[in-house]
Amino acid sequence: MIVLENVSKVFPAKNNEVTAVDKANIHVKKGEIHGVIGYSGAGKSTLIRCVNLLERPTSGKIYINGEELTSLPPHKLDNARRKIGMIFQGFNLLKTATVYDNIAIPLKLIGIDKAEVKARTEKYLEIVGLADKHQSFPSQLSGGQKQRVAIARALAQEPEILLSDEATSALDPETTESILDLLLKINEEFGITILLITHEMNVIQKICDYVYVLESGKIVEHGTTIDLFSNPQKPTTTKFLGTIAQRNLSPSLISQLNLTGSVQRLTFTGDIAGEPLLAEMSKRFAVVPNILAANIIELKNGVIGNLVVHVAGEKEEVENALLFLHEQGVGTEELEGQN
Amino acid sequence: MNGYEDFIQKWLPIIGQSTIETFQMVGIALLFSIIIGIPLGILLVLSRPGQALDNKLLYHTLNLIINIIRSIPFIILLFFILPFTKLIVGTSIGVKGVIVPLVLYTSPYIARLMESALLEVEQGVVEAYTAMGIKTRKIIWHVMLREARPSIILGLTIATVSLIGATAMAGLVGAGGLGDLAYRFGHLRYEVDVMYATVLILIIIVQLIQSLGNRLAARIKKD
Repeated sequence: MIVLENVSKVFPAKNNEVTAVDKANIHVKKGEIHGVIGYSGAGKSTLIRCVNLLERPTSGKIYINGEELTSLPPHKLDNARRKIGMIFQGFNLLKTATVYDNIAIPLKLIGIDKAEVKARTEKYLEIVGLADKHQSFPSQLSGGQKQRVAIARALAQEPEILLSDEATSALDPETTESILDLLLKINEEFGITILLITHEMNVIQKICDYVYVLESGKIVEHGTTIDLFSNPQKPTTTKFLGTIAQRNLSPSLISQLNLTGSVQRLTFTGDIAGEPLLAEMSKRFAVVPNILAANIIELKNGVIGNLVVHVAGEKEEVENALLFLHEQGVGTEELEGQN
Repeated sequence: MNGYEDFIQKWLPIIGQSTIETFQMVGIALLFSIIIGIPLGILLVLSRPGQALDNKLLYHTLNLIINIIRSIPFIILLFFILPFTKLIVGTSIGVKGVIVPLVLYTSPYIARLMESALLEVEQGVVEAYTAMGIKTRKIIWHVMLREARPSIILGLTIATVSLIGATAMAGLVGAGGLGDLAYRFGHLRYEVDVMYATVLILIIIVQLIQSLGNRLAARIKKD
């Protein structure tokens, strides 16, 4: 559906060039929700703006439904863009137009006939839950309501793809939740493929099937959300995970505990989360597990449990115990103390 | 009371005539200035770096021309372009003769006011419409000009008031008007009352135009 092939964007600067996006490869299949996460300045915005050529990539190819966008002549590009809806952090609504007109005007401008404009505007206002606000002006709406209008505007074009440029970043946590629910709903009901960028891990957690971690313009890690959450490889990914669940104890505490055993982070995914593996472990081996920290992360496609456990006992017994856990499908990772 | 009635009887037709002349000059000059100034302002914005028509040469040329014209005081412009005026309208005197310099004086000003009004329009909205596959031409009209309307109206109000000021000099080429009346009778012939009356009328006109502009802008502005 959406394929980015070695997309790079280089901005000319005074003395040297700035590479905002560096050979990014993205592949979103129909009906999936993919998310790109990164800190500010990582190049997320530039990357997503390359997808519909708001920013022309310096090199690389962009395929939407197999059609290569960068080589299209202007009028064909306009047609291609109509199949790609986009929502923004700043909503980007017409201030001088009512909610109704904000949805109807773009439809009129792309040449849709009057009756159809009315029908679509009413339909999508209903879907985003703002039918009663059709005569309000954007300034009379809350942030979440403005984003709903923007979503209705995008949906009214009946696109196959929705791009979301930090759509929830200006919203409070509760409103963010409701907008994410709405995005899930339109993904499920209309089968719209979504590519979003964000700096909030909870957005990825809640709605994404697949994640790309962007750092200095490069995709440093990517994988299904479950893989990435249960087995992060890069420090940036780990840092992002730390924003939704505490992952580390202080090194001095770990050092102290290491004297009598080993401090491990155990990761449970899927069905094994339901089994009493720790009890089983202490029965089989001469070890005493002590849970220091625990959390559970609900993802769109599953649940991940994290335990930080102090496993006390003789070195060999501890090793065997951990091997047992590993065989049962539990991720184990030794936490480092102070040197 | 008698003196007041005499004054009215003697001066009303003359002041009335001058008021009409002022309105004529302002009206016609404003019309042409808008026709020239608004597209010029749009061009100034669109030729900026990063905009739809991104064209350095065009942008800098327009900028230079507008700055040059705006540097010249109206009274000097009026005489400086006499031959040009005669070429265009066939005469350099009377209402007809003063329209050309008034338009030349006001349209770059309107272009600048338009430029700043259009630059206030959020770039994000323009982008959102570009992303929807809508043509630049339609975006200019339905997004940029639409969203800039309150500022455009306020800008045109400012331009109109300054145009009224400029018409006072029109008397120098025999075009008449309120400013000319105040100068000839009030200043040159010491008819102080005429000067007061004229100034009063000018104040009222400017007040009316300004509050009309403010109200119109406030009505369209929705934030």
